[in-house]
Amino acid sequence: MIRPELICPAGTPAALKSAVDAGADCVYVGFRDETNARNFPGLNFSRKELEEGIAYAHARGAKVLVAINTFPRAGHPQMWQSAVDDSARLGADAVILADIGLIDYAARTHPDLRLHLSVQAAASNPQAIGFYAERFGVKRVVLPRVLTVPEIAAINQAVAPVETEVFVFGGLCVMAEGRCALSSYATGQSPNMNGVCSPASHVRYVEAGGGITSQLAGFTINQFGLNEPAGYPTLCKGRFNANGKTSYLFEEPTSLNTLAMLPDLIKAGVAAFKIEGRQRGRAYVAAVVQAFRQGVDAVLEGRPLPDINLDSITEGGRQTTGAYEKAWR
Amino acid sequence: MMEGPHRAGQAKPMIPPFSPVLLLGLALRPVRPALLQPVFDHMLKVVRSQHPDILERLEAYGERSVCIDPIDLPFALILEPDPVQPRLTVRRFVDADEVHATIRGPLETLIALAEGRMDGDALFFSRQLVVEGDTEVVVALRNAIDGAGIDLVADLTAALGPLAQPARRAAGAVLDLVSSLRGSVETVRQSFIAPALQGAASRDARLAELEAEIKALRKASRRGGPA
Ligand code: SF4
Repeated sequence: MIRPELICPAGTPAALKSAVDAGADCVYVGFRDETNARNFPGLNFSRKELEEGIAYAHARGAKVLVAINTFPRAGHPQMWQSAVDDSARLGADAVILADIGLIDYAARTHPDLRLHLSVQAAASNPQAIGFYAERFGVKRVVLPRVLTVPEIAAINQAVAPVETEVFVFGGLCVMAEGRCALSSYATGQSPNMNGVCSPASHVRYVEAGGGITSQLAGFTINQFGLNEPAGYPTLCKGRFNANGKTSYLFEEPTSLNTLAMLPDLIKAGVAAFKIEGRQRGRAYVAAVVQAFRQGVDAVLEGRPLPDINLDSITEGGRQTTGAYEKAWR
Repeated sequence: MMEGPHRAGQAKPMIPPFSPVLLLGLALRPVRPALLQPVFDHMLKVVRSQHPDILERLEAYGERSVCIDPIDLPFALILEPDPVQPRLTVRRFVDADEVHATIRGPLETLIALAEGRMDGDALFFSRQLVVEGDTEVVVALRNAIDGAGIDLVADLTAALGPLAQPARRAAGAVLDLVSSLRGSVETVRQSFIAPALQGAASRDARLAELEAEIKALRKASRRGGPA
């Protein structure tokens, strides 16, 4: 049985320490610029912080992966290329890339640097994965959250020894990753290009009579009643009027939680489990990493899964197993 | 939209939990904010020297002021995160249009957030924290503070040198006292609301009876029986 790595998010050096201390095998981080898909205000790492973070992780047997997973602006690849160069120079264990040109650059310039394909590249079949592996030596592919467990198992059989990584907890993109224009349509900024969906600079919350209205770039996208759990102000989680009804058209505020599915995912031959949430605080990182550390260890040691309630940190106070079970089919 | 600008420090739009902090807030009502200002000056100085990275992360937002409004205390704070001359001012009232953004919640929640013991998004999802105005500076502040690894008691006592350890012990004793008070306060709260709960329980029971009666009547009328 493969021992899957637990890949944990860190938006700050303090979160990196929390993740390592809570049992992460790897921590993934990004630089403080638009080269990564969590380019949020006040978040992410300077070069010096990355160097210190790598030293902290390596001293405790953990790895650090650097996400450089947005698509370089046409004609201006320098910022993305220097992010790759600096990751290699500072001793990152791998870089997580999405853009095919940047992958080519990394493979040619740093032949010893381990390459992972970001979920933003949306490679979801053996042919696409095979192309990245053969052409650029990509070692691992993060699968988009659109596949069922049997589909993942079939991909693993077809692409071995290329490894796959799947998301096990956190916020969900309902679109095939890297192919969503909702945020860009409303705000002019997108996760693919600017590293941020529904940027905070365009978000306003308005309180009225105990309720709250969330607005994105002047569009009202949701209203929550008194004490009704709220969600992220992304358009895919908006509540809209259509056909005389107000409802969530794409997705309700909810978080992916596959703790109960870990035995199936391990059986499917997945090499790494990824926890979403570089934008979340240390308390979230510690709680989720501990839960999944216990979960993975329990499965590998043949013990029953721990019963851990993560409701209090989920979006909208709700959880889903997403496409892994595709209950809506 | 809130009806008119809200004045932080007064008529809080969230209902504060009944807690030792709320009682402390009532006790602090007569105290002039100016008397508390030195405490916050010292706090800012200490946090700034122990965690210079906070202001570094906030560099791009130095000109945006944030009101931090503990709903259970009779005052609010204005943080101006200027990298060279940051300020933390305590005020009885803050008008919403005086600041770029406001973060509002119970004091214990705000402290837990500052110390990274609670996740800001989770607090927002569960509506324990309210954010108004410029969301960007609030997110930046939240990330900068969470990333700093603040421990208020340890940070504030660190500068005391040999006295740090006894001061930490004293602070620990005060926190223990607060948490034991929380139990007593909860008992008081329960006895206050017990009559209301009993009333609500009997109303619930009566409602359930009425619902059952209506269901039975509907069934009977569908069968053509007496309506
Ligand atoms: S709008 Fe939703 S689906 Fe699209 S990128 Fe943002 S979070 Fe993902």
